[in-house]
Amino acid sequence: MFKVKKHTVMPSTNSQETIIAQGVKVEGDFRSDGDVVIDGEVSGTVATEKFLRIGETARIKADVKAHSAVIAGEVQGNVFVSEMLELLATSRVKGDVTTARISVAAGAQVNGKLTMDGSTAKKEDESEE
Amino acid sequence: MYCYLYDEYIQENKRYERELLKIENRLTDLGIAGKISRLALFRNAEEMIRDEIERGIQTVVVLGNDETVRKVIDVVADCEVVLGIIPIGPGNELARMMGIPEGVAACDILSARRIETIDVGTVNGRRFVTGLTVPDFHAELTCEDRFRITSTSRRAALEIRNLADLANPCDGKFEAVIRAAVKTGWGIFGRNSLKESIFPMKSLAIRSDEPISLFVDGEEMTSTRFDIGIEPMFLRVITGKARVF
Repeated sequence: MFKVKKHTVMPSTNSQETIIAQGVKVEGDFRSDGDVVIDGEVSGTVATEKFLRIGETARIKADVKAHSAVIAGEVQGNVFVSEMLELLATSRVKGDVTTARISVAAGAQVNGKLTMDGSTAKKEDESEE
Repeated sequence: MYCYLYDEYIQENKRYERELLKIENRLTDLGIAGKISRLALFRNAEEMIRDEIERGIQTVVVLGNDETVRKVIDVVADCEVVLGIIPIGPGNELARMMGIPEGVAACDILSARRIETIDVGTVNGRRFVTGLTVPDFHAELTCEDRFRITSTSRRAALEIRNLADLANPCDGKFEAVIRAAVKTGWGIFGRNSLKESIFPMKSLAIRSDEPISLFVDGEEMTSTRFDIGIEPMFLRVITGKARVF
């Protein structure tokens, strides 16, 4: 009753989100305006202007671009996150990672170049303008 | 000016006689009585409504169920008149989602005249309001010519939702929902569970080598290719406070 609620830096999902669940495969240039949750297979490119969650069962062979992201599954491709990237213990990333802020849990695997440039988010905002 | 369109099954079934009388009395009390047109086997609903619209009708009220609405949806949307529903009998899912109660209680909703403009979906040029389903889905979806979606599961079903309990019909998009049966767990302890994928989008193409059947607002269509789109903010409907959107 009086438990202190944990506050996460990641935004909560809304009803306009795209969900790619297990049992579904997406191939090609996938873009979304809203939040994206992936638990299935994706190959090609993934881009969202908002929040991306890659679940434990997800298998992604694609370049990933998002405003903020939480990765718990497997990603083969470059990851570009303009704000906050959270790599959970079960995550396996094979590719270069570019982000402004990062949180890496013990057990997470990253095989690639990590670039953390504070101006990443700013550059992104400027290019949108 | 109102035009009331009675479906054939209401006129034939004596069970609805008393209800119709109550509705007609209530409409007169509320001052919204109008011209009554009756659908019949060899009467074209679209022609009847077009004639009435030429005479100055601005609101077409359907007395019937979802099937009755489907008969008039094209002409009502094209002519930019307001659609009202007085649900009578079974098969009134659309009216429920619009927050319109069955029978005589619907007259008060009509009188309040709360108008909403909603999106209308199209499949191979045919319009639908609620959605469509493909019960046995093994085809390929091409979305906005950018990416393809396939189901890797043996058992999957596709549902396209425009107006539904969880879909907003005023956002200019429909939702493609794929439910795939996925086995979780090991060996004999494994269980099948349904996983739901949701894609909000504006256009979609279904392609299949073999003909597949889909059900549009309950009516069956069979083909190897379906082109699905949306006409944003296309239909003006009278809704109740209890609507789902």
